Amino acid sequence: MRLGRPARQGLLRELEGVVTFFGSHHAMRAERVLDGSGSRALLVPGPREISPNCGVALRFDYSRLEEVRELLDRSFVQYEAFHHYPHG
Amino acid sequence: MRTRYFDNAATSWPKPPGVPRAVRRCLERGGGNAGRSGHAKALEASRTVLRARELLAELFRIADPSRILFTKNATEALNLALYGLLRPGDRVVTSSMEHNSVMRPLRHLARKGVALEVVPASAGGVIEAASFCAAVTAGTRLAVVTHASNVTGAVTDVAAIGAHCRRLGVPLLVDAAQTAGSLPIDVEALGVDYLAFSGHKGLLGPQGTGGLYVRAEDALEPLQRGGTGSRSDREEQPEFLPDRYESGTLNTPGIAGLGAGVQYLLHRGVTDVQAHEQGLLAMFLEGMAGTPGVSTYGPAGATGRTGVLSLNLSGLSCSEAGTQLEDRFGLLTRVGLHCAPLAHRSLGTFPEGTVRFSWGAFTRPGDVRAAARAVRLLAAAGGRRR
Repeated sequence: MRLGRPARQGLLRELEGVVTFFGSHHAMRAERVLDGSGSRALLVPGPREISPNCGVALRFDYSRLEEVRELLDRSFVQYEAFHHYPHG
Repeated sequence: MRTRYFDNAATSWPKPPGVPRAVRRCLERGGGNAGRSGHAKALEASRTVLRARELLAELFRIADPSRILFTKNATEALNLALYGLLRPGDRVVTSSMEHNSVMRPLRHLARKGVALEVVPASAGGVIEAASFCAAVTAGTRLAVVTHASNVTGAVTDVAAIGAHCRRLGVPLLVDAAQTAGSLPIDVEALGVDYLAFSGHKGLLGPQGTGGLYVRAEDALEPLQRGGTGSRSDREEQPEFLPDRYESGTLNTPGIAGLGAGVQYLLHRGVTDVQAHEQGLLAMFLEGMAGTPGVSTYGPAGATGRTGVLSLNLSGLSCSEAGTQLEDRFGLLTRVGLHCAPLAHRSLGTFPEGTVRFSWGAFTRPGDVRAAARAVRLLAAAGGRRR
């Protein structure tokens, strides 16, 4: 999802989930898959303390964790880990 | 004099307008390096590459786009598969119609101890599925076959070979340089394990693009190793796709153009391109029918072939014929052996070669009528000289 700065800041506060990836193909693909499913998601520079292997991580709605995980699995997206990252 | 391009089997031209536009947009507005950072321009480059991968996956009916690896051409894709899989002592089966992009790596590997079996094609240059399958036995490490000959356009029955290979558990590598974008390809329906394709021929992209589809990567060693932007904490190559096989900065502008070419094909439909090219072949053959002194090569009739016609004119060497076709008629063809010496031996045209006409998605009926007329006139002149 490509947004202007204020909308982006607002969305970031709401999206408390962070999923990290080993490579950028999988990060970009995750963004597209979640966008396509109507789930809110935003690519962000990965928070350093949770090992952003490819430079980017994806913020998502943590309340939909299981749904997101299943969607990524079904779409052959390889992720590193899911994190709960509130107020970030 | 108007120039008419008949060398689409080497590289396609013209391209759909979206292709140069996409390359230009990438160069003017891009600037980022795919997979190398999290800033906006790097993300845009990564999205461009992902989009092209997804479009190619749709075209070849591949569920997981990460199984498509970008290379600089089909040759590099074939080298990746051949050198990545074959070890001394392995047995590999291929056909006599292969391009040097298959034959040269295999001859080199054979010198290193790989057992190579080359199945001869029929006199018309057709790879008979039954004789190819007879050579592929349990324990064969790899079967390699071209989907269509770059010399005759004869299409191989890959589905029959693929079914046989699947039954025996032998991986099948298909060289789709001449067919990707010109014939429908469904990797699972054809039983393909590795599909090498070029981006600048039937897929209508820029030169410097190509790729390899990999059904299972466990046994495939990378051709090169290096920076991927991922797992940068490690000195070892990452194990996951596509990064394991894509070291170094990608040709993002080229890949952007390739994506636009594939998008055009998905919109128009590959079956429409196939019907168009086959219709032009029928028209070409009809336009030359009964002309004395013209020998054509490949299967009889216009079916089971791509948009390629190889021929010779009696009384004229093929290089002489090619020069006259260009100088007198503005027809740009390719003459000689087309990087496939063994294929020409199969056809009985070694070492002289043939004149090859190859057309594509944008060739017009008027171009083909002009080509047939030029061949008739040259044949008549050659006849007078005999």
